[in-house]
Amino acid sequence: MVFRKTMKEIIILVGISATLAMAVNFLSPKGIALVGQWDTSKGVITASPTGPQEWKPEEISSVARAKEIFDNGNVLFVDARSQDNYEAGHIPGAVSLPVGQFDELVGSFLDRHAAARSIVTYCSGRTCEDSHHLAQLLYGLGFEHVKVFIDGFPGWKAEGYPIE
Amino acid sequence: MNNAWQSLISNSWIELAARWILGLTFIYASSHKILSPADFAKIVYGYNLFPVVLINLIAIVLPFMELIAGFALISGIYPRSAAIITCGLLVAFIVALSVNLIRGHEFHCGCFSAGEGGHTEIPEITIVRDIIYFILGLQIILFSGIRRMSIKRLSA
Repeated sequence: MVFRKTMKEIIILVGISATLAMAVNFLSPKGIALVGQWDTSKGVITASPTGPQEWKPEEISSVARAKEIFDNGNVLFVDARSQDNYEAGHIPGAVSLPVGQFDELVGSFLDRHAAARSIVTYCSGRTCEDSHHLAQLLYGLGFEHVKVFIDGFPGWKAEGYPIE
Repeated sequence: MNNAWQSLISNSWIELAARWILGLTFIYASSHKILSPADFAKIVYGYNLFPVVLINLIAIVLPFMELIAGFALISGIYPRSAAIITCGLLVAFIVALSVNLIRGHEFHCGCFSAGEGGHTEIPEITIVRDIIYFILGLQIILFSGIRRMSIKRLSA
């Protein structure tokens, strides 16, 4: 086996791959930052996509604050997780709207809840961006008062708050 | 026993099949990672094996290594080198899966995007599958005859 020739070929193949990868990442609307935000103490983790940035919902980053909002009443909590997760336990009074089934279920959601309603979405915590996506989808349909409770159901449960 | 191995390694039809199977598999595997780099980056994060600053770079470059190596294997360009790259990647996958199996670490972000609305493959099966692919790659590396359907001047 000709070692040096093989090494050269490997370098060429890897070089082409890296160059193509960087070029596509830079040009694609789905491209991501070279370094993402992977620190849960700073918020929900994300690969930091660099594409056209959509509207960003306000985040509720403390569980205590979410409880206050809950106690004040008149806010609809919306669970972005799957039906199974919702049934296993959810924030009292929360409505299930799994983000993966948004298109099917949004019709009946719209029938029951006016666009002026104050909404707080949540999912499984700071490793999950589903609640953000759900918030953006709802905003796109005219819900202007949508926030995201980033610690989600696990955070709520960990504080010992009531669940259903 | 030695002769059986020898004939397997020097069989040019097996070599061709190996290049096609490995090549197509890697091209297919790379596609969803290239189409959704943010989702793949999250999966890389979930393994909890890499320095946080490298996660995005891995998510950006790795799929293209799979794509280019796969394409090279199919067209017979630098076949031995392409096979070495695929075997290297397979070793990395096997190690990553095994380490997390041993740790008992499973990353469940609880999100739809990571396919947790559906089902994911059992790690043990993936490891066995990757070992089989690795053996195919080994055959391509050890083969020393004339490779069928390959770009002659560039065949290693």
